Amino acid sequence: MIHWMVYASFAIVLWGVNGLFMKLGTNRISARSMVIWVTAGFVVLLPFMWMTTTLSGLSAAIIFVGLIAGAVNGLGNWAVFACLERGAKASVAIPLTALYPLCTVALATAFLKERPTALQWLGIALAVAAGAMLSYEPAPATSPEVQVHCVQ
Amino acid sequence: MQTDRWHFPVWLWYALLCIFWWGLWGFLSKIGSAAASPLQMQILFTLGMLPVALGMLLQMRGRLDRNRGGVTYGLLCGVATGLGTLGYYAALQEQNASVVTPLTGVFPVLTVVLAFVVLRERLNKVQMGGMLLALASIVILSI
Repeated sequence: MIHWMVYASFAIVLWGVNGLFMKLGTNRISARSMVIWVTAGFVVLLPFMWMTTTLSGLSAAIIFVGLIAGAVNGLGNWAVFACLERGAKASVAIPLTALYPLCTVALATAFLKERPTALQWLGIALAVAAGAMLSYEPAPATSPEVQVHCVQ
Repeated sequence: MQTDRWHFPVWLWYALLCIFWWGLWGFLSKIGSAAASPLQMQILFTLGMLPVALGMLLQMRGRLDRNRGGVTYGLLCGVATGLGTLGYYAALQEQNASVVTPLTGVFPVLTVVLAFVVLRERLNKVQMGGMLLALASIVILSI
């Protein structure tokens, strides 16, 4: 039997490498094209998943929620590709967007009336600080020539 | 040459938008997973992504980029994410989510290392500190 750590490591490696593929892809094609090709990559796996399970027994409401979740996931994919396309470093954009559970916790607090634990409050505070620090990018300095030109 | 003056880069708007969309995805997944198995949810996610991809294709008037390298990386992104998710679900079958989720949440470290080696990206000291805080936060929020 394969140890669960092997599966977890498999996920870490594939998701980690994926961050690099995202940047290499957006260096070559547009964010919208990336969304289409990434979706095609997901579709490739669909028959294998369908061999092990079906959607029978699920209520229409749950199917609807799952489909909407997929759609917003697709929009999130577009946003991260657009972010990389507009010059974000992969080493900044990937850790920054991985902070999305912050938004999930906020939504669960607002709509499911869940109360964050003390530890989760610490996680939220760290996420806010991390977001601010990761997005710190000093402004390019104006060259002396341009400054002189502006004065004139 | 750079100054210490901070500015709001354009890409940051998209990163925040991504956090919102993926955060909403996490919220809806939480609701859906009460009745559906992770694999069933993954099938629904894939089907739900199709209209978005179709919308993008229509917006581009069918002029899809066909750069061979870009297409390969795009397809690899989809397959790698999907397979990684299946690996994550397989780990969940044998271990608690409170152990597996924080552990797999450290995947950005690998991206940062690969970006350092392959893309020669360099983080400034503030961003480096931010990455460490982000990792701690991801682990804590995943518990």
